[in-house]
Amino acid sequence: MARIAVFGIGNVLTGDDAVGPYVVKVLEARWELPGVEVVDAGTPGLDLTAYFAGLDAAVLVDAVKARAAPGELRTYSREDLVKRSPVLAVSPHEPGLREAVMNAEFMGVCPATVRLVGVVAERTDLGCALSPSVQAAVPAAVEQVLSELRALGVAPRPRDPPAEPDLWWEKGRAG
Amino acid sequence: MSKLITIDPVTRIEGHLRIDVEVDGGAVKNAWSSGTMWRGIETILQGRDPRDAWIFTQRICGVCTTVHAIASVRSVENALGLEIPLNAQLIRNLIVTAHTLHDHIVHFYQLSALDWVDVTSALKADPVKAAQLAESISSWPGNSKHELAAVKARLEGFVKAGQMGIFTNGYWGHPAMKLSPEVNLLAVAHYLQALEIQRKANMAVAILGSKTPNIQNLAVGGVANAINLDSPAALNMEKLYQVKTLIDEVATFVQQCYLPDVAAIGGFYPDWFKYGAGVTNYLSVPELPLDEKMSKFDIPGGVLWNGKLELAHKLAGWNDDYLKQNVTESIAHAHYDGAWAKGPWEEDDKPKFAGEWKHETPAPDRYTWVKAPRLEGKPVQVGPLACVLVGLASGHEPTTRWATAAIGAVKAIHKIDLTPAHLHSTLGRHAARAIRAAMMAEMAQKQWKLLVENIGKGDTRIWVDPMANLKPGIYKGVGFHEAPRGTLSHWCVIEADKKGMKLKNYQCVVPSTWNAGPRDASGALGPYEKSLVGNPIADPKLPLEALRTIHSFDPCLACAIHTVDAEGDEIARVKVL
Repeated sequence: MARIAVFGIGNVLTGDDAVGPYVVKVLEARWELPGVEVVDAGTPGLDLTAYFAGLDAAVLVDAVKARAAPGELRTYSREDLVKRSPVLAVSPHEPGLREAVMNAEFMGVCPATVRLVGVVAERTDLGCALSPSVQAAVPAAVEQVLSELRALGVAPRPRDPPAEPDLWWEKGRAG
Repeated sequence: MSKLITIDPVTRIEGHLRIDVEVDGGAVKNAWSSGTMWRGIETILQGRDPRDAWIFTQRICGVCTTVHAIASVRSVENALGLEIPLNAQLIRNLIVTAHTLHDHIVHFYQLSALDWVDVTSALKADPVKAAQLAESISSWPGNSKHELAAVKARLEGFVKAGQMGIFTNGYWGHPAMKLSPEVNLLAVAHYLQALEIQRKANMAVAILGSKTPNIQNLAVGGVANAINLDSPAALNMEKLYQVKTLIDEVATFVQQCYLPDVAAIGGFYPDWFKYGAGVTNYLSVPELPLDEKMSKFDIPGGVLWNGKLELAHKLAGWNDDYLKQNVTESIAHAHYDGAWAKGPWEEDDKPKFAGEWKHETPAPDRYTWVKAPRLEGKPVQVGPLACVLVGLASGHEPTTRWATAAIGAVKAIHKIDLTPAHLHSTLGRHAARAIRAAMMAEMAQKQWKLLVENIGKGDTRIWVDPMANLKPGIYKGVGFHEAPRGTLSHWCVIEADKKGMKLKNYQCVVPSTWNAGPRDASGALGPYEKSLVGNPIADPKLPLEALRTIHSFDPCLACAIHTVDAEGDEIARVKVL
């Protein structure tokens, strides 16, 4: 059986950058995904390479910068991700998804299929909430992840009853 | 005529580290270190329940997750005056040591070795000679001529296919690259092997912390790992033995591969034991508490001034008032309203952007979002080097033994006599990190043994309820952690009433703030800044030397935004003006 994982990438404390973790939390709450590991990976930098090891396919969800309106979806393949040259890293956080994929390729551990479901961000400054445009894109992003998984032979089943997504960072403050 | 080189690498990430060096006559004359975005994540915590703070702080940074979680629970526990069950201390200590090993390995092999290793030169290596050389240095089993020949073949395949991918921006053939092809090949082989080892360190963290990268098992008052040696749902003997196996494997790699590699590579660059000292005041806090009251620690803490290997102040524990009274942060050159220097509990941040710094020299008065932490008003370097020097000055036996082993390895391979004084340097920081990793591997094994012995005595306590004896009032606390990048402290002010408790203030003083902070009101340079002055720069368009010095600190600033720029324009890397 193919080993498949979905990774939500991004920082839940910086606005729309939370969309990756947000989408995987909704996915986990609403869908049973037999044989698929769902990971809220935060902002792992090059550590993502280690998570790739042993996988046949990885589907990632992340906020992206692209020439498109906030909330629009953009899906990228492994080839799309690596065709530009990597950034020069000063700190361990700077290597991003592209560098992790390239590093995994050199290490010989890159999943054959890597798909990035990108949601175009509106604002990524400090704060624990998505902007309305990105919030509105969440159902479509979940659908896109499901469609990527179906293409990989996964048969998602709606969870019955559905659970509440664990969006702990959006919860209010005490007293 | 001097030139300003700006290393401002990633427009994709808002909130990264920027380095500007003014070069004159082939050497750095002046330097500025700046952070390009307000972090301010502490403000998210104001008004929240202090018991939840660690869940948020662990998200400050995706690489230092466990580090901010540990410092946060310790901070709240310190404020409330809690004593923590021994099992909880030891489980945390195991997470701390395993995470440290993971971090040091990743830093050396994946993030900085390529400043010294020329991957393309490895193509010229003779795998048989490389294996002989390796055998003379270490008993690491991953150095056979077959293994090394396979790595060389793999590298050839990559180059032929034009797939240098991750290495595209390497400084191949730079005049500052000095390793023999054989040492380059060994380094590439270990770069590959390190991946498996870092996964093992991470697995140990995951078994204890329930998940990585964000652990789930902490709680203010202890840990959430129920201990029952016979229950599959709890922390049982089987899981403990899995952790032991993983830690033992990582320890073998660190002691037989990482430390000898640093000695082998470092000895080819003797000049770099002279450059990059910078600020030679050092701070390291006690780590690995061994009792419920936190009165005994496995790793000592203290303060050294002016490069002298004698303790100016011994930090007996986390309740030593010295740090509470002598740590301040200055905003004189940062983008905040005011020009104060205050202790973290008293800080009231009002961000105020003073305008963009184009590329004029000297830098404008306000040039960074990073504050300047000071101890007794003086700049201080933190990190593995501080930890090792404080360990040596304290007579810490494991640190002394591994430092002696490292110095011995350089002597055996290169016939170079090093002393602890050479550690005040760019390469000294790498050597210290390897020495600390070897020491921490031993500490991980020791914490495991202590935990199993304590459980064996029938103690299964893991948590005390922080609300049990809570009285209304204001509580101030500080949580210390000697993290992979150095001394981390979380400072909290808690207000408790009959309904519960909430945070009034929260400040994180992180290692990279100590090191990457700007000048203070007196004009004293921060550690990054001072360490760059005097570094040679052979080619201003390829300032490899400046990167070597900065990377040696293991910088960690761009903690916030990781948006992928999948369609944007080519990224500006190095600007020479």
